[in-house]
Amino acid sequence: MRMKSALAAAAVVALAAACGSGGSGGSGGEAAKPGEPVKLNFLSLAWQKESLAANKQLVEEWNKANPGIQVTYVQGSWDNVNDQLVTQFAGGTAPDVIHNDSPALSGFAADGYLLDLSDKLPAELKSDIPQQSWDTVTFDDGKGKQGVYGVPFLQESQVIIANKKLLDAAGVRLPTTEQPWTWDEFSAAAKKMTKDGTFGVAWPMKSPVNKTLNLALNFGGTFFQTAEGKTTVKVGPEEKQVLQRIHDQLYKDKSADPAALGQGTADPLPAFYKGKFAMLPAGVYLRQQVAEQAPDGFEWVTLPPLKGTTTQQGAVSQTLSIAQDSKHPDEAMKFISFFLNGPNQAKLAKGDWLLPTSVKAAADPSITTKENGWDVATASAKALVVAPFLKVNGFDEWKSKVATPVLQEYYANKITIDEAAKRLVEDGNQVLERYQR
Amino acid sequence: MTATVTKPPAPPARHVRRARRSRRSREMWLLMLPALVPVVLFSVGPLLYGIGLAFTDARNTRAHETTFVGLDNFVQLMGDDDFWSSFRIGVVWSVSVTVLQFLAALGLALLLNQNLRFRGVARVLAVVPWAMPPVVIGLMWKLVYHPDAGILNSLLGTDINWLADFSLALPAIIVVGVWTGMPQTAVVLLAGLQGIPRELYEAVEVDGAGRWRRFWNITLPQLKPVIVAITSLDFVWNFNQFGLVYVLTQGGPGGRTRLPMLFAYEEAFRYRYAGYASMLGLAMAIVVLAVLGLYLWRQMREAR
Repeated sequence: MRMKSALAAAAVVALAAACGSGGSGGSGGEAAKPGEPVKLNFLSLAWQKESLAANKQLVEEWNKANPGIQVTYVQGSWDNVNDQLVTQFAGGTAPDVIHNDSPALSGFAADGYLLDLSDKLPAELKSDIPQQSWDTVTFDDGKGKQGVYGVPFLQESQVIIANKKLLDAAGVRLPTTEQPWTWDEFSAAAKKMTKDGTFGVAWPMKSPVNKTLNLALNFGGTFFQTAEGKTTVKVGPEEKQVLQRIHDQLYKDKSADPAALGQGTADPLPAFYKGKFAMLPAGVYLRQQVAEQAPDGFEWVTLPPLKGTTTQQGAVSQTLSIAQDSKHPDEAMKFISFFLNGPNQAKLAKGDWLLPTSVKAAADPSITTKENGWDVATASAKALVVAPFLKVNGFDEWKSKVATPVLQEYYANKITIDEAAKRLVEDGNQVLERYQR
Repeated sequence: MTATVTKPPAPPARHVRRARRSRRSREMWLLMLPALVPVVLFSVGPLLYGIGLAFTDARNTRAHETTFVGLDNFVQLMGDDDFWSSFRIGVVWSVSVTVLQFLAALGLALLLNQNLRFRGVARVLAVVPWAMPPVVIGLMWKLVYHPDAGILNSLLGTDINWLADFSLALPAIIVVGVWTGMPQTAVVLLAGLQGIPRELYEAVEVDGAGRWRRFWNITLPQLKPVIVAITSLDFVWNFNQFGLVYVLTQGGPGGRTRLPMLFAYEEAFRYRYAGYASMLGLAMAIVVLAVLGLYLWRQMREAR
């Protein structure tokens, strides 16, 4: 009897020990034994069909050419990638190479989960991507040192996708990259196109924050200011411009389709094909769905970004980063520099219908053709500047707790612009306070 | 067993009995061990760890050093407007879902207790929602509520984005919550109904009582223990609901459906304040226990 209980106790201890040590298991691939290939996990968030194919094909190419470094493609999703990464980082099971976007990097960088790449970047990759794009991935490491926490490769700008027939019928001046519409011209055009149950424009504002903030730069609206190392929210006349103009289209001019307001970016497309409204401001990537799904005979054009005082827009980029706990950072860097070289970036950009950061890729004939508005889209990259909110620690919480509800309520005409501004600033500063202790 | 031990028996027998008793309790522990180990390892351990976290400033980050902060998290929680609005939503959600669930389930149980044709089939059909995981239910109802392709809008001929509307989102998910939880409540009530002795009904029928009186004076009082048990369980389940709402709205629009558990999840996994989220979880557990304790205590006292 006593013997048995002793055995049982030993079993419990052993079990507990096994569980305790289970958590510290290595991140990503195992440590390589000599002669065995290094294994890397690559978390990819590609989701459009063409982009998935391009990603997988590049991984396959790499694995064939580099028997010593084998990369495993791991599928992730934009919907929950950050939740997933938080748990994986904490559990020590994060992938080696991580696909994400620059707004998410600042938090992970400050928390120490991502590797600073500044000393590891090969010169060729570094010079192929302009400094302005590197700025979108340069963050504080949480201890006051600046580091590069990812390689930026795809960017998005906001353009306007328009129904060509309705546009021509309205008889307005067609904007070009050299001579874009001003916001006033845009409003006037939308008003002209609004008749017989057709609206001029649709603003799908289910997730209004990034869209609004990126466009606000047209009038110099930055939404954040930093003084004496303290970042606060600012909503002044510059920031109010775009807010007010969109609101006017909805409720004063009544040139914007109210049904689209609560929808996600791609949701109004069926109504767009039916000609319920003429113009849809959207990210360049949305052209893919229009090109593929639009019914036969539906003619559409891509209009260049609008001009306020400038045509500047806030840019964020998709990125590849390396986990701090990765056992093979150098091999991971090699893979990244192959994956993101000029020709490959052109493939990825084409697959995702986004704009490449690589200078070489941007000159690729396949993404400068007139077809499907590629020329307008690629040219719009020139107006991209680093979005000011990228560097704000706590932006994500400000966005989901304060800005999203406030902007949704404002666009739904439930609160006035002054109330919206007041809440964005006061509630917002409270949130930011938490990150600046 | 306790009764026999407390009575002081004759001295020699006492010795034997104590030895037998200690051996018995040792055997009992040994037999319980296999069941106890997982409970301690996977429930009690993490629970205590979570309670411990609630009094620290733990963050889900690599660079952070966790320190003990006492009741700081609690003080912050009490002053957090977002928490209170989330708490209010949680109360509205769990009370209304529990009450509506109970009423609907009672109706269903009474119906299924009648001598209907195809009663067996109907009973099986009524339990179907129970067999579905919350995520599947969430996805299914998301399609029902879909602004363009949803059957609800096409049935009503409306053009409403149910889950994105500030005032409709909460009622919309409450309907889903009621639908989801109704079957198990109905099954439990049905079991209770079938346990009521027929003689009671026959007795009041002789006295000339109508349907309503029979329900009010026999069915309800007889069902009371079952009702108390199932509504209190439902309340706890509903208050802690996560998966369903996470799939349907993720707490949106603008936090109008952000139940306390979603709030805790966001704090822990989006903003990475693990300590604060643990305090939130702890506070929720205490609230649930307090409400439940009060409710059960009152019911017990009335029953006595």
